[in-house]
Amino acid sequence: MEQQLRETAKKLLTEKTVDVVIGYGRVESGQIGAIFVSNPDEVERLVWNQECRQNLVVYLTRKEVQKLGKAAIVVKGCDAKAIVVLANESQIKRDELVVIGMICNGIIEESQRTNGNPWADSNDSSNKLPIYEKCETCVEHQPKNVDIVIGDPAAANPDTLSKAERDQKGKYAKLAKLKAMTQEERFAYWKKEFSRCVKCYACRQNCPLCYCNQCVVDKNRPIRIDTSATLKGNFAWNILRAFHLAGRCVGCGACSSACPAGIDLDLLNLSLSIAAEDNFNFVSGKELGTAPLIGTFSENDREDFIR
Amino acid sequence: MSQIITLEQLKSLVDSLIKDGAKVAAPVVAENGRSFYQYLDDSSSMLLNGFNKSFNSIKEFFFPKHEVLYQFVRQENDVLLTDAVPFETSQYIFGARPCEAAALPILDPLFAWDYQDRFYQQRREKTTVISMACLESDSHCFCSAVGGSPENPNGSDVMLYDLGDGSFEVRCLTEKGKQLFNGKTNASDKTGTACSPPIKTFDIEKIQLWLKDKDHFNDPFWEEASLRCVGCGICTFVCPTCHCFDIVDEGSFKKGERVKNWDSCQSALFTLHASGHNPRSTQGQRQRQRITHKFSIYPDKFGVLLCSGCGNCSRHCSAALGVKPFLKTIEER
Repeated sequence: MEQQLRETAKKLLTEKTVDVVIGYGRVESGQIGAIFVSNPDEVERLVWNQECRQNLVVYLTRKEVQKLGKAAIVVKGCDAKAIVVLANESQIKRDELVVIGMICNGIIEESQRTNGNPWADSNDSSNKLPIYEKCETCVEHQPKNVDIVIGDPAAANPDTLSKAERDQKGKYAKLAKLKAMTQEERFAYWKKEFSRCVKCYACRQNCPLCYCNQCVVDKNRPIRIDTSATLKGNFAWNILRAFHLAGRCVGCGACSSACPAGIDLDLLNLSLSIAAEDNFNFVSGKELGTAPLIGTFSENDREDFIR
Repeated sequence: MSQIITLEQLKSLVDSLIKDGAKVAAPVVAENGRSFYQYLDDSSSMLLNGFNKSFNSIKEFFFPKHEVLYQFVRQENDVLLTDAVPFETSQYIFGARPCEAAALPILDPLFAWDYQDRFYQQRREKTTVISMACLESDSHCFCSAVGGSPENPNGSDVMLYDLGDGSFEVRCLTEKGKQLFNGKTNASDKTGTACSPPIKTFDIEKIQLWLKDKDHFNDPFWEEASLRCVGCGICTFVCPTCHCFDIVDEGSFKKGERVKNWDSCQSALFTLHASGHNPRSTQGQRQRQRITHKFSIYPDKFGVLLCSGCGNCSRHCSAALGVKPFLKTIEER
């Protein structure tokens, strides 16, 4: 797959279809990080393995990256959905972007923060670390809405998963456990989790769909959300962010994965995604050309107040 | 002869301190299995070893992420100000890593420079740091490259060595430490050791020379290396030596608080002027600031590096950046 990816990138760069390929590479530390390849002779730097965790779509809306010119981007199935949302929300021009989708059967649980996993070891992707929690319920092993698919579709795990089966696994099971709690217990859970939040806003910075030029929390005249990392400020921030992603979040897990405090922030988003699916039959990032859920009005809405 | 203490004895020491009204902080494990420091209710959740580092570092107990400076209440023709309650409780931090404790003497001159920061200083005076000599290092650790070691005594009042049999060798380094463990230990012939220091992967003096060269201020390297930085600032928040803060008023027009919150040089807002101009408008410039501050500006001013080599910046970076990758790249230039 890695070779197929490099050949594809080389072709795209040599034929000047794109100016830059945004992909994964092994960086100075030996870890996997984003690389930006403009020179066709440097495509060998591109790698693909089970450590390619970061959602690179976050770079598409960065000014510094946009300056590099027309881009091709390497994505997993989950990340590809974020591109669909960016296009549907008119943040990128989909036809000016080449999306390279990788067949992915799950990325391994992050090793960089666990102990005793030196950088050098990360060269060995054969070590069977557990699959990342969110990958357990993946139905995007074969990326959709992409221009080029890399890998053997026959080798991809099936993208069918019944709701009943899904709710037993990974993040869905975690959420079900939370939902089974009493309101008080649930509040206590979030209180405990949010108490660790340091307001670094890594959740926002790593989210491909948090692209606002000025985030509401950065507005200080007047201050709408306390900047303090107190329980009040932390609740306000994390819940506000979840609401801003309602009907938009694609469940890529970049927020939770980035959170230094290890808070399962994506459970908030998942809860809202399930609400969007159950109530409006809407799955964010599924189709190009669909209007955003929150920005849509339907006369057939089952609520009376909207008519 | 060495002095040792069993885990049980250590735990009952912790419990007796808490019972006497002291604040005791130590690493505990969160829901997700990640360790972090927090104030304990009792010693049962305390975890001293079995992991490398906690995400939040002990900085939090000297320079909290949020601190009230004073409260204000608007009255008819006046404003009533109430100072924050001084920090007067004794505080003990168990299981600190030597690199985190070493950050304290690095920060001391900063908080006692042109302004005497009594908030920090009171906490410093009231706190005893009981460090745990490292049993393991990971690929992010680089204490040895910045003058530290897995048993660096700087900033610690006591150094504990895990003997692996449910007991610890106790080496008291200061008067505070001696007072705490006085009569609590037993003589033994066992001595503990720390893990071997992480391999030195760069030459800090060479890097400092490169940073001092003004020609390198606008070196394209900064932008290139920072291209993948998403600007979240995790590196600064989890860093035991990063100390920038913001002062904001919270509450209403009638009453509220003036508070001090952690801030980060990695955010664009950090240097944004009211005019709209931003002297550090790109991520490369922000990274340059962080690295230069740590290894050139701060040493010039205070004579010490603003880094203890804990590696938390790269350990938590979602984009695989941080001090070590930056310095390694600079050295190769």
